[in-house]
Amino acid sequence: MKVAVALIYLEYAAHSLAASPDSGRPRGVSPDFAKFYKDAATFTCISNPSLSLPIARVNDDYCDCPDGSDEPGTAACAHLSPLSPQTTVNGVGAAGSNTTLALPGFYCKNKGHAASYLPFTRVNDGICDYELCCDGSEEWESVGGVKCEDRCQQIGKEWRRLDEQRQKSLGNAGKKRKELVAEAQRLRKEVEDRIQTLGTQIEGGERKVGQLEQELVEVERREKGRVVRGSVPKKAGKLGIVVGLAKQRTEELKEALLRVRGERDASATRLVEVEAILATFKEEYNPNFNDEGVKRAVRAWEDYAARDKGAEADAAHDRDLDALSQSDKQNGLDWEEYEGGDDDESETDVLYAFEAYLPPSVRTWLDAKLRSLRITLIESGILADTSSSSSEGESKAVSDAKTRLSTAQKDLDGHRKDLTTHQEDLDKPFGPDDVFRALKDTCISHPAGEYTYDLCFLSKTTQKPKKGGGSTNMGNYVSLEQIWVDEGAVPADGKGLGTGLRWAMKYEHGQHCWNGPDRSTMVVLGCAEEGEVWRIVEEEKCVYRMEVGTPAVCGEAGLKGKGGRDEL
Amino acid sequence: MVKHENFKTCAQSGFCKRNRAYGDTALSSSNWAAPYSLDPASVKFEKGILTGTVSKTIANTGEAVRLPLTVAFYESGTARVTIDEERRQKGEIELRHNSKAKKQRYNEAEKWAIVGGTTVSTGAATSKAAEKGTTKIVYGPASKFEAVIRHTPFGVEFKRDGETQVKLNDRGLLNMEHWRPKVDKPAPEKKEGEEEKKEGEEAVVVESDKEIAEDDGTWWDESFGGNTDSKPRGPEAVALDIEFPGYEHVYGAAEHAGPLSLKETRGGDGKYSEPYRLYNSDVFEYEMDSPMTLYGAIPFMQAQKKDSTVGVFWLNAAETWIDITKTTTSANPLSFGIGSSVTTQTHWISEAGLLDVFVFLGPKPQDVIGAYTELTGYTQLPQQFAIAYHQCRWNYVTDEDVRDVDRKFDKHRIPYDVIWLDIEYTEGKKYFTWDPMTFPDPLGMNKQLDEHERKLVAIIDPHIKNKGNYPIVEELKSKDLAVHNKDDNIYEGWCWPGSSYWIDCFSPKGREWWKGLFRYDKFRGTMKNVFIWNDMNEPSVFNGPETTMPKDNLHHDHWEHRDVHNINGMTLVNATFDALLARDKVEDKHHVRPFVLTRSFYSGSQRLGAMWTGDNQAAWPHLEASIPMLLSMGVSGFPFAGADVGGFFGNPSKELLTRWYQAGAFYPFFRGHAHIDTRRREPYLAGEPYTQIITQALRLRYALLPAWYTAFHEASVSGAPIIRPNYYVHPGDEKGFGIDDQFYLGSYGLLAKPVTKEGQEGQDIYLADKEKYYDYFDFWTYEGPGTVNVAAPLDTIPFLMQGGHIIPRRDRPRRSSGLMRYDPFTLVVVLGNSGDAEGTLYLDDGESFDFQEGGYIHRRFSYASSTSTLMSEDLAAAAGKKTKEYLKQMEKVRVEKVIIVGAPAAWKGKGEVEVSEEQSGKISAARKVSLDWHDKEDGKAAWAVVRDPGVQIGSGWKIAFA
Repeated sequence: MKVAVALIYLEYAAHSLAASPDSGRPRGVSPDFAKFYKDAATFTCISNPSLSLPIARVNDDYCDCPDGSDEPGTAACAHLSPLSPQTTVNGVGAAGSNTTLALPGFYCKNKGHAASYLPFTRVNDGICDYELCCDGSEEWESVGGVKCEDRCQQIGKEWRRLDEQRQKSLGNAGKKRKELVAEAQRLRKEVEDRIQTLGTQIEGGERKVGQLEQELVEVERREKGRVVRGSVPKKAGKLGIVVGLAKQRTEELKEALLRVRGERDASATRLVEVEAILATFKEEYNPNFNDEGVKRAVRAWEDYAARDKGAEADAAHDRDLDALSQSDKQNGLDWEEYEGGDDDESETDVLYAFEAYLPPSVRTWLDAKLRSLRITLIESGILADTSSSSSEGESKAVSDAKTRLSTAQKDLDGHRKDLTTHQEDLDKPFGPDDVFRALKDTCISHPAGEYTYDLCFLSKTTQKPKKGGGSTNMGNYVSLEQIWVDEGAVPADGKGLGTGLRWAMKYEHGQHCWNGPDRSTMVVLGCAEEGEVWRIVEEEKCVYRMEVGTPAVCGEAGLKGKGGRDEL
Repeated sequence: MVKHENFKTCAQSGFCKRNRAYGDTALSSSNWAAPYSLDPASVKFEKGILTGTVSKTIANTGEAVRLPLTVAFYESGTARVTIDEERRQKGEIELRHNSKAKKQRYNEAEKWAIVGGTTVSTGAATSKAAEKGTTKIVYGPASKFEAVIRHTPFGVEFKRDGETQVKLNDRGLLNMEHWRPKVDKPAPEKKEGEEEKKEGEEAVVVESDKEIAEDDGTWWDESFGGNTDSKPRGPEAVALDIEFPGYEHVYGAAEHAGPLSLKETRGGDGKYSEPYRLYNSDVFEYEMDSPMTLYGAIPFMQAQKKDSTVGVFWLNAAETWIDITKTTTSANPLSFGIGSSVTTQTHWISEAGLLDVFVFLGPKPQDVIGAYTELTGYTQLPQQFAIAYHQCRWNYVTDEDVRDVDRKFDKHRIPYDVIWLDIEYTEGKKYFTWDPMTFPDPLGMNKQLDEHERKLVAIIDPHIKNKGNYPIVEELKSKDLAVHNKDDNIYEGWCWPGSSYWIDCFSPKGREWWKGLFRYDKFRGTMKNVFIWNDMNEPSVFNGPETTMPKDNLHHDHWEHRDVHNINGMTLVNATFDALLARDKVEDKHHVRPFVLTRSFYSGSQRLGAMWTGDNQAAWPHLEASIPMLLSMGVSGFPFAGADVGGFFGNPSKELLTRWYQAGAFYPFFRGHAHIDTRRREPYLAGEPYTQIITQALRLRYALLPAWYTAFHEASVSGAPIIRPNYYVHPGDEKGFGIDDQFYLGSYGLLAKPVTKEGQEGQDIYLADKEKYYDYFDFWTYEGPGTVNVAAPLDTIPFLMQGGHIIPRRDRPRRSSGLMRYDPFTLVVVLGNSGDAEGTLYLDDGESFDFQEGGYIHRRFSYASSTSTLMSEDLAAAAGKKTKEYLKQMEKVRVEKVIIVGAPAAWKGKGEVEVSEEQSGKISAARKVSLDWHDKEDGKAAWAVVRDPGVQIGSGWKIAFA
């Protein structure tokens, strides 16, 4: 081994620096790794036992071991990382050597506070990293004259104070969680009770429906023997009057049709014109100018253009309308024939045979189209809806029976649906102890920047501009999951997710984002005494993440008070 | 897609069309004689300056227009030909429309562009040997240059060693549109411009040999895109043909999105049909491979042939077009009929101003670029952070967002130095304000950044929102410091804030006012780690003609906007630069160097900061185009240049983003940026393996910062490019003259060719010389000359080290470049065919001006194979006031490692070397340190490592290997 040759030479390096002042271990070595540094004469690279160095080469600010283990107290091996340019010269770089880092970092004892590891890249860079290394021990070389005094007493004290508060708060939070769980259980019980009730109601309903079906059959049988035609007008007027009325009505309808059609065509032309203008506008505007008004307009146009355009103008439909607009004579209907009256036949009969007299083209049309036209006209407010609900030609008794049946049926369906909903609700995940059940549809509000954000648990998230204006849906609740978060340690004030597996609520399919996806929000939950939104970030365009504190997840990972302090 | 209809073609730009037509007529008539002649009696030569009067004969009337000529010869070997127009010079013209515009041709471009190099030559002299009808001046180094001035028609030939290198007006296209009063003809219905063909035909048919049909349709006013230019001074274009005989390649004329070697512009297969245009514009979604104008203009061009480089600088700030054609001569009489040669002819056309052209005779690329930058100034030596990585986005939306991105970089151990804020940080686009909703605590944010020596760059644009209750606009108006319209009232246009006014930085009062706006007590929320980005300074005016200002707008001293347009952007940056030196009384005692990024620029802008190539797109062709564009900036004296990494518009694929970071790590200005509608793309969001590969590229940049900083220093004293095209490094290698997709970093022989194509896994690299090249990462050995193929899977950057160089590095990854200040160095000694190597290191505090008082380290490292010794010598000039202090500060900074690539086999088993140091003038006793030798394997070179020689970076030492 080449290194063995090198062993012969004594080093000039000032290795008095190698050991930290108040422990037997070399600088930066934690108790866990102390055993590797015990030998007084040689050091063996931890992951590469075939490489041995004189002890003077430990912490001499030169990286000898391919795993970096000879420099626990300096930044000399900080470049050993898959994040660095991968060059042949890595440490000694011998082929096949194990370059996986042996040490988790520079060990800060942090006496008076919790010990921790600091990345080697931060050792002797002239910056006091009090967050991880409150004792300032990592800046032992004082590069550029930096002095990092030991602040562990102060920092530790403050941390403990806050931690105590936090513990207390967590205690309260635990209580609150218990309350929530109790509430959730109560809610669950309600659902269960309701399911039971519904079962009974459904059974009753089924019976009722059965009875009513029976009743209907009977009523119908009874009614069959009676007058064929149900509600024949008692005072049948003269056929002539009826025909006159019919003619008048038909004329009215025709006029209305023509007018509406004209208006429709005019609107359609204008619409085409406006769409063309907007299409050109969208094509030619300059998105770089970022005029919010213009952008909104373009966005709205795009949404509009993407929507279902409704039926295309139907040529057949227009032909029908053409036919309808012709004079009745051209359609083969000669009112005069009927206006004179015809005493040979019972007026009533004629009336009933009325359709038979119509030429086939008109009859078919009359059958289908007149009705739909009428509906159209009613819907567009041109005609008043004067029809009665009872179906034509049915006896009152039958229709009443039908109504009773369908009402009962509807009730039953409603109950069945309720049952399904409630059963599904019972099966849905509501987290440990069903606790989120208690949060369902409760909302918390959070102002941040230009917006106020609203989070409704298991429902939806929205954003509303403070300056006014409508709110934007940022997603509807779809599922509950557990995700890994890596936010380091929970800060002293407790408002953080820390590191570990956390409950998260996924909200998707919110309002569509211009030049982007549908808005969505991942709501990640951490333990807190009060429901509170800690942070909102737009991770990607229109993809939001909310970090939210709630007592509901306390007792989960969040309760481990010091969790994360020792993690790196 | 670029909107062509928003920008003029030559045919739509009256003076360009007129001059192209003039040229076509001249070149198509067999007995064309240019109507310009120099009166021999008027010629005087005194103290290096020749003066005389050129007269232009007007064909119809026979009248002569007097054009004063000056030819100046400078000590540097640069010659300058200037032609003015007497009548305008004396102000004896009438302006139309009661215009208040200045009557002279614009003669202040030099005030902005030229800062040195104009010491008049004492050695220049007239030569008695001049042929009849000519005046000959001998000048330049060792009097090897000659300017032969032909009297009739007027023209100049520039020679070096007796050989003609540059010809002015050889083809007779010189044209100075003299002033004339408008004569209102009883107009037969005149048709609008589109009838060009007919008019052209008429011109050729109607006119006799000495006359050119003048198309006066655009003399008096001109409309484009609904805007009418009132042109109160009538036609006043200047044009000249400049020929480079025997030169096949021309470079420069930045900024264009096209190849480094400029293309011909008169049509044909693969050629352009439009001239290269220089008219600074905000070109939305600019297109690739195009002579269209872009954001900045550098009217400096160099021509290259084997072992010879020459150049010209056309000092004119007005709209300019350049036609380029090339002709092949099969037998060049000067080269005794050997082979064919290509001659490049150029035709320069500007709308207004003086004819003012500088001629550089080389013979090396650096001679030409050096002479040009001596005139226009060298690149500012930036602070070190400015050449590290910049993280930008339109927009980080809150101060908390900025803090979060800052923390995330640290968490993922990705280095970065600067985070940027685009326009959204302001309250309603009012510059010098912060949105109180989204940036309630800018100082807290800046302090967090400062904890790790990081910086903030905030955008400040020249348009000032026209809205009440905004003190800045109130002052601008009441002090009358904005640009005026043609009627001399304040000009109002439309930009980000809506209705806006534009600060006129041509005005001394305007600049003084602007300077005050950046004081910490005025621009609240800023502190010493805040720097500035000047965007939209072409100026971009959304509702203006070609997205800029009307040409008949008036600036300070009543110069028309047409006169100064291309310089406009530079004046803003100049004012901002000065402002950053006047932010605080206490700071006045110890300033840090300003940093300003600009989009618009002109010759000279390099003195003031960095530029970037504007709004590119997240598409592979834009990544590819960034390299020739930045190389072009490099050889145009403005090397501190970059392109938006990742592409501004659109979302890059992860592969594209990764490749872009690998390329961006070699941009002199290295910034990731993205449009507001794009997805977030900070490196840590890419996911694996992309984040890791991107981090490697970033850390590579940081490790090589000592080399980059040294290259910047070189640029700051010589104008040398920072990334260098093949022709610059190997001017004798004709095969490499067209290569613009690979480049060398500084003087280090580091040759990179980033992958710019999707899915590409290998890269052909052209090696110009007979030399060894080693892969930077694994020492795989290649031998030039010729093309070699380098493996380039996604995690690999094709990056080679040419034998013969020594490269300084700092290998310890830190959070920001500022935190590397006291880290030790690694020297990589790359031994090539000669067995010798050398390299330099320049180092200072990376932020202050102390280097001007000697506060720096400048070393030359050399390895001599004859003595097997590596040594460090001082290159510093005599010690200054701050020398001692700085050396003291750096005394603990050592060389921790020396890597020798291509290490001699004789070192096998050697095991140690002897190190001796110079301490207070004495050489210390030699001490021994270990040497670790590794044999070559496969195709990889042998290498050796000197283990911790422990020598000081700032002092002299020797390492003996024998």
